[in-house]
Amino acid sequence: MNIVLIFDQGLAGAGGKSNPNVGLTAVKGGVGSALMMESHFEKIGAKVAATLYCGNEYFLNNQEEVVTKMTAMVKKVKPDFVVCGPCFNFPDYAKMAAMISANILEKTDFKSCAMMSVENGDTIADYKDKTPIVKMPKKGGTGLNDSFADLCDLIDATVKGSSELESIKERICY
Amino acid sequence: MMQKLEKFLMPVANTLSKNKVLSAIRDGFLVTVPITIVGSIFLLIANFPLEGFLNLMTSVFGEGWDAYLGRVSAIAFDCVAVLGVLSIGYCYAREKGLENRIGGAVVALVCFLIITPQKAFVEVEGATEAASFSGFQFTFLGTAGMFLAMITAILSVEIYAWAIRKKLVIKMPDGVPPAVMESFASLIPSAIAMTIFFVVGIIFDHTSFEYVHYFIYKVLQAPLVGLGRLSGFEVIYQFLSTLFWFFGINGPAVTNTIFSPIHKVLTVENYEAAQAGLEMTNIFTAGFSDFFCNFGGGGSTLGLVIMMAFLGKSNRMKTLGKLSLPAGIFGINEPLIFGLPIVLNPLMAIPFILVPVINTIIGYLATVSGIMPITLGVQLPWTCPIFFSGFLVTGSIMGTLVQAVQLVVDVLVYYPFFKLLDTRYMDDEKKKEGQTDDIDDLSFDDLEFD
Repeated sequence: MNIVLIFDQGLAGAGGKSNPNVGLTAVKGGVGSALMMESHFEKIGAKVAATLYCGNEYFLNNQEEVVTKMTAMVKKVKPDFVVCGPCFNFPDYAKMAAMISANILEKTDFKSCAMMSVENGDTIADYKDKTPIVKMPKKGGTGLNDSFADLCDLIDATVKGSSELESIKERICY
Repeated sequence: MMQKLEKFLMPVANTLSKNKVLSAIRDGFLVTVPITIVGSIFLLIANFPLEGFLNLMTSVFGEGWDAYLGRVSAIAFDCVAVLGVLSIGYCYAREKGLENRIGGAVVALVCFLIITPQKAFVEVEGATEAASFSGFQFTFLGTAGMFLAMITAILSVEIYAWAIRKKLVIKMPDGVPPAVMESFASLIPSAIAMTIFFVVGIIFDHTSFEYVHYFIYKVLQAPLVGLGRLSGFEVIYQFLSTLFWFFGINGPAVTNTIFSPIHKVLTVENYEAAQAGLEMTNIFTAGFSDFFCNFGGGGSTLGLVIMMAFLGKSNRMKTLGKLSLPAGIFGINEPLIFGLPIVLNPLMAIPFILVPVINTIIGYLATVSGIMPITLGVQLPWTCPIFFSGFLVTGSIMGTLVQAVQLVVDVLVYYPFFKLLDTRYMDDEKKKEGQTDDIDDLSFDDLEFD
């Protein structure tokens, strides 16, 4: 099972607030925070095929381009599932993740979800009906590992077309 | 093993970080930090550890110039309990969901002042009895009153909130301005809280303790602060703080709910001792914790970042190292925590948890052996860079040298783990270069749109 991860520059290990204008970048395999999720992905037989990222300010200044090109890149990689997150309580990244995930689900046949903490209230309200958004803690909050386990439940059930998908979404998504 | 540990730590972190009382105390003390830092800067200028600078100031401003600066540092340190009761009262009103938070804070302050002795005694030369005058003594408003300030803030706001919840308020007719309405709504809750503290004060007047301050100091503050003087105190704090971070939980946000008040008291006690011309005895002050245990953020990652930037062979290590170094010098390592990553990365867990503990032990041994002076009762911004901070917080170049030794040790401890991860990332990069598959050529420049 192949996964594509969509990160901002901080999660990708391309610098934090000091490097917000990183352009669109695609890397084979997982980078940065992908390592945090690796052991969880292994449990469902998934591996990271590619990581796509850009800086949060680059996204804010080029929203349409970022969403369109990220979606086009997903079509090129052809993954089984796209994870737009984990966004913690980073508002720009959360907005980018929700917009990209919603666009992938609307314009392609690929499966996708976003993942963010409850602090991104506006984004969650705007996009929760357009894409599954998995609950997770804010930066430094408790329950990060559990939220990755929840994410894998969603990926596994979605890819396998499980009958439990809706109940899983009910349990772990906004 | 890690899963079991996380299962144990999660509820602890949840309980501590979500407990309203502890959160209010932690956040309340955070409110006082800028005041203490500004006071520390005035204190440092007045006592700068360079004779030439002090002579220059005297030649420019005349004898006694430092006494003027003391007006600021005295308020920041000698009134720390007053600042604490106000800020904790405000934060607890927030935790209780009160709309009128400043009302809660003011009630907390007033209740604290009600139970604080309002008469002071001074020895007068030639007189047989001490003279008395009306007023508050710094003795009761400084460190000695810190724990009472915490308790008073919580209890008074609890009473205030209870009265509001029970609707024991005066309701004004519609059309009355909101500020007036809010003020009258606070009248009965404030009266109840103030009356209870008035009675408590009188009860203690008739006990052998005389004042609530003495009671709380003897039965609570002295034993708890005594824990902070044990040699294992700082090691436990540093160990727990980084252990929580490994699981993605902001460690200091959890541990500071318990440790922060003790650090604060130990720091201000050193200030008071120095002002009184006594020997400073507390090793584990906020300055020690900030500047001799961690360099470059939690896990003391500055040594790691330096290696990543200058010794890293994989592109990932080199890039992240160079990008993280400027922030790392000022004690920020967020890019590293999630970008390397440190969180949930078992390989980095060992040095990340171990290095701050080793630093603590080195700093402790350097202090007790007299190599480095004990840290002063000043509080500098935690972003103060390594080497400068060591000098300023100890008033000696030996503080800088101890930090240099600690940094070298940090590099040595992190090195094998850094090499393992760097080699792994390098292998990954080589493997990707050698592979040819459907997604071999990932570029945003030649995408097709339909």
